Amino acid sequence: MASALPKFTKIAKVIRLNRHGCTNRPFYHIVVQKTKDNQDGPVIEQVGSFDAMPNNKNEKLVALNFERIQYWLSQGAKLSDPVAQLLGLSGFLPNHPRTIIQAWKNRREPPRERKIEAIKGIAPPLDNPKL
Amino acid sequence: MFENGHTQRIDVPRCHVNIAFNGSDKTRIIYMTVAISSKHFIMFGSSGSRVLNVINISYIQSRSKRVWVRKPLGSPMAKSKIFRITPKPVLPEDEKAEIKRLFDNYKNSMKSIRHYFFEQSLKQAESGEVAQMKHRLEDQEHERLMEENRLENEKTAMLREERLKIQAEKTQQNVLASLIKKEGEAKLHEIQIEDFLTKQMSTPFIQAENIEKAIEDALANPVNFNFALDLNGYVYRGKDTSIDTIPEEKRERLNSN
Repeated sequence: MASALPKFTKIAKVIRLNRHGCTNRPFYHIVVQKTKDNQDGPVIEQVGSFDAMPNNKNEKLVALNFERIQYWLSQGAKLSDPVAQLLGLSGFLPNHPRTIIQAWKNRREPPRERKIEAIKGIAPPLDNPKL
Repeated sequence: MFENGHTQRIDVPRCHVNIAFNGSDKTRIIYMTVAISSKHFIMFGSSGSRVLNVINISYIQSRSKRVWVRKPLGSPMAKSKIFRITPKPVLPEDEKAEIKRLFDNYKNSMKSIRHYFFEQSLKQAESGEVAQMKHRLEDQEHERLMEENRLENEKTAMLREERLKIQAEKTQQNVLASLIKKEGEAKLHEIQIEDFLTKQMSTPFIQAENIEKAIEDALANPVNFNFALDLNGYVYRGKDTSIDTIPEEKRERLNSN
């Protein structure tokens, strides 16, 4: 049975990635939500976006609203790992250890074969004339 | 047929499926999609939104999204997975230490950053318009109250002064009266002392000069304290007097005490 009494416990808030987009084409909204809610559940505020698929110029575009992020952090919101990494790369926060660990792992051995080409730094634009 | 909070077990060829129902007022049928393949046994349940007692909940059932649902606790381990031993990732010690150091530093800086942001937010709140207006109103209120207090104090001070004046007069009078009384008493006392002294002085003391004379007088005039009483109340002085010697006329003395 659902709780007869209303819950008054404070639910923590999180800044994390919400997957939108279509099949095989992810697009993330960087969003402030309550930890309890589902990914596609109610959102308190959208605070940016992250496109995981590189564009024509081989860039992965990230948008961040630093003022609002600062506000929510001051109110006690947590960060998910990917969001923390993105913020570290952008310079707003210190670099996440994961980025550093991934970097030295990449240097040590080449990453495993993937169907999509791996991006090494800001590579030159693709040669395909049709794009 | 399907009731709330029940789990229905349905046997499908080649795999077992358990269907769970949400405990809610509105009965909802949740569809289980099972990928039947020899390799994978993926559990997916489709229900976009959990039912909570929340106001801004989306009651639109999302049919496209498949949410991950864990394998039911009672179900057995798959045949392909029974004897599987996952290789444990071994990291060298220095790498572990480096990782730990990185994470500790990161956590430390994150903690301080959060604290800093919090302080900044407080400062902003203080400097904002609403806060300033609030401060102004508070100050006004404070002044008003202080003024009221001052007036009240003055009033009570006036009353207190009057009261004290009256009291002071009273005490003055009392003191005067008591002083006068004491003076009178002192005088009386003095007079009494003088009387007493004169009385004492007037009593015939025997000083050093009068001793011999006093002795001679005493020897010359012996005092006889003996006496006898009659039942009728007559006194016969002296030790050796008898009743017969004194005539009736002279024995007049009665006991006059």
